[in-house]
Amino acid sequence: MTITRYKVLPGDYIGEAPPGPLPTNTYKIGNKLYTLKIGLAEVEDKEVKFIPLAGPYIPRINDFVVGTVVDLNAFTWDVDINSLYMAHLPSQDVFGRNFSPTSHSLSEQFKVGDMLTAKIIAYDRTRDPLLTVREPGLGKVLRGEPVVLSPSKIPRLIGKKGSMAKIIESKSKTKLIIGQNGVIIVQGPPDGIVLAIKAIHLIEEKAHVPSLTSMINELLSKGV
Amino acid sequence: MIKLIDENGLRLDGRRFDELRPVKIEVGVIKNANGSAYIEHGKNKIVAAVYGPREVHPKHLLIPDRAIVRCRYHMSPFSTEERKPPQPTRREIEISLVLRRAMECVLFLEEYPRSIIDVYVEVLQSDGGSRCASITAISAALADSGISMKDLIVGCASGKADGQIILDLSDIEDKEGEGDMPVAYMPNLDKITLLQFDGIFSEEEFKKALDLAIMGNKKIYEVLRKALMEKYFKTEEK
Amino acid sequence: MSFKRSSIIENLRKTQMLDLLSKQKRLDGRALNEYRPITIRLNPIQKANGSAEVSIGDTKVIAGVKVETGEPFPDTPQQGLLIVNAEFLPLSSAMIEPGPPDEDSIEVSRVVDRGIRESQMLNLKELVIEPGKLVYCVFVDIDILNIDGNLFDAAFIAAVLSIATAKYDKKIVNEGKEEITKTPLPLRLIPVSVTSITIGDNILLDPTEEEDSVHDSRMTITFDEEGHLCAGQKGGSVGLSVEQLFKIVDLSKPKAEEIRALIKKVISNAYP
Repeated sequence: MTITRYKVLPGDYIGEAPPGPLPTNTYKIGNKLYTLKIGLAEVEDKEVKFIPLAGPYIPRINDFVVGTVVDLNAFTWDVDINSLYMAHLPSQDVFGRNFSPTSHSLSEQFKVGDMLTAKIIAYDRTRDPLLTVREPGLGKVLRGEPVVLSPSKIPRLIGKKGSMAKIIESKSKTKLIIGQNGVIIVQGPPDGIVLAIKAIHLIEEKAHVPSLTSMINELLSKGV
Repeated sequence: MIKLIDENGLRLDGRRFDELRPVKIEVGVIKNANGSAYIEHGKNKIVAAVYGPREVHPKHLLIPDRAIVRCRYHMSPFSTEERKPPQPTRREIEISLVLRRAMECVLFLEEYPRSIIDVYVEVLQSDGGSRCASITAISAALADSGISMKDLIVGCASGKADGQIILDLSDIEDKEGEGDMPVAYMPNLDKITLLQFDGIFSEEEFKKALDLAIMGNKKIYEVLRKALMEKYFKTEEK
Repeated sequence: MSFKRSSIIENLRKTQMLDLLSKQKRLDGRALNEYRPITIRLNPIQKANGSAEVSIGDTKVIAGVKVETGEPFPDTPQQGLLIVNAEFLPLSSAMIEPGPPDEDSIEVSRVVDRGIRESQMLNLKELVIEPGKLVYCVFVDIDILNIDGNLFDAAFIAAVLSIATAKYDKKIVNEGKEEITKTPLPLRLIPVSVTSITIGDNILLDPTEEEDSVHDSRMTITFDEEGHLCAGQKGGSVGLSVEQLFKIVDLSKPKAEEIRALIKKVISNAYP
């Protein structure tokens, strides 16, 4: 079976619409399938897959995200997750069922300006995303430098089976906490952080270049 | 009265009736924006940038099942022959409106309910056809932002000077000519998203002017495609 | 992407920044007294009398000069007018909303204005056509296109370059006949501003937006060609010690000379 890859712009014709649901980022007129974004369309027999190269972060259930607390009231924290909607972390998620606004203070747990890692547990078109921190590895981020990358380029930063992220981590002696929403926390020694940020900026600029891995290797070997 | 077309059929800047001015597009010029583009179309120099989709403030403006679009077309004080005071004029407000409507035709607003998309256009230097050049830049910026859109949009005017139908009017042809017809067009859908005209056109002239504008738009579409491809798929190093 | 974000600085970022600075490091790898690359495009706007696009790192501004005629101010009948106006275009950042100039853009306008005026960059007395009645007005309009810190210096360099290279239509009456000649503005010298911030005990020149968002105080000093201080503006809500201020002057002065050399080189390359 051969896969044909097309470089497409919004409105480009990709082929006949396949049976069943429409591939993401496409629409159809009659039986003809068109694209909605800049990206790569992979057509294999009747199957069409679309990889967008730009676009905002749209929340998905079970996504791991990095956010910033921007507001709190007696019952929830409002968390900016670099998306078109504000996410909410309910106080019960942190304090449990026995939560009472009179005996618990939300700001003891997360203050405005604090960053946290969380998972999206609920979201649909009509409601803002709901977060949880009740899983191992989730919660307040205590150190590191936040960096933002276009959400559509996060897969490139991670690489095949995490290969790209591993290269950056090992060569810059840092640890990357990568949110699917495009927010990354870089932890490690100062030189390492400066170097890892350079690598992330290079991915932002050259995400589409096939030789990206070797470019990243070269950059990291040069050091600060 | 100024003669706009000479006996050899050449216009003041040496173009034939169906020739475009030079068009240059660059994508991704404003780092902070979610999408941006710069266009030079004749002497027009225009930047467009997109922010969003993002949260709506104040909340009462939001629409539950789709995104709202806001557009601001603005001319810099130094963009015109005589200095233009910075506060928006009625002309700028109207152009903002027609540009917004033109882009609402292609945007998949249902995909982003309860959000807002802000589109800002700044004319750094103006020439004839600045609203047409603006819509081309906007469409490049929207594509760059990755907001779902059914097609790209390109803009180009036609008009009438010295009794002839001509393509892509310059400043002086716009001012001294007999008619001006800005047209924005969606090339894949083959539909018009913006149309205004003033002047006297016979029915035949009107048809001819529209055909000519669409022909010009198809040429600009090629330039726009090339600019987007350059930004997103260019692999070799400079 | 949130408006609320504008006033909130990640606590993490501030902690991390102080940690880096304690090792005399900046996030982009620069030394504390180092500027980002300054790139200049002269005369991008042909319809203006003079114009310049200036980038410092990712901060980008464009300035255009228009020279028109008008009435002088009543208190300076023997002087031409200089009017500086900066606008933060809403396309420059997610935090900027359309609308009339807010206090930040007015501050940039006024700091640039004072630097140019007080250094006596222009001899405004030469811009009089008829004393008390008709003078030349020099409008300097500055568009902020992309915000990444240090708007003061980017706006100042763009304004200075567009004034220094502007040519206006000067009316000269010669043997009873009125002639118009393209004339450069009456330039005396090239002033330069240098902006720094303090974070704790550290002084950083040319702050990025990220650094600026955690500053304690900010200082912009304008120097004339003789190294005199001719305008200054302190920003930020934390006090500055006299000792720190002297240190800032010591750091800024040689930097002003470097930038002036760059500006002069750009002008002489374009107009040898």
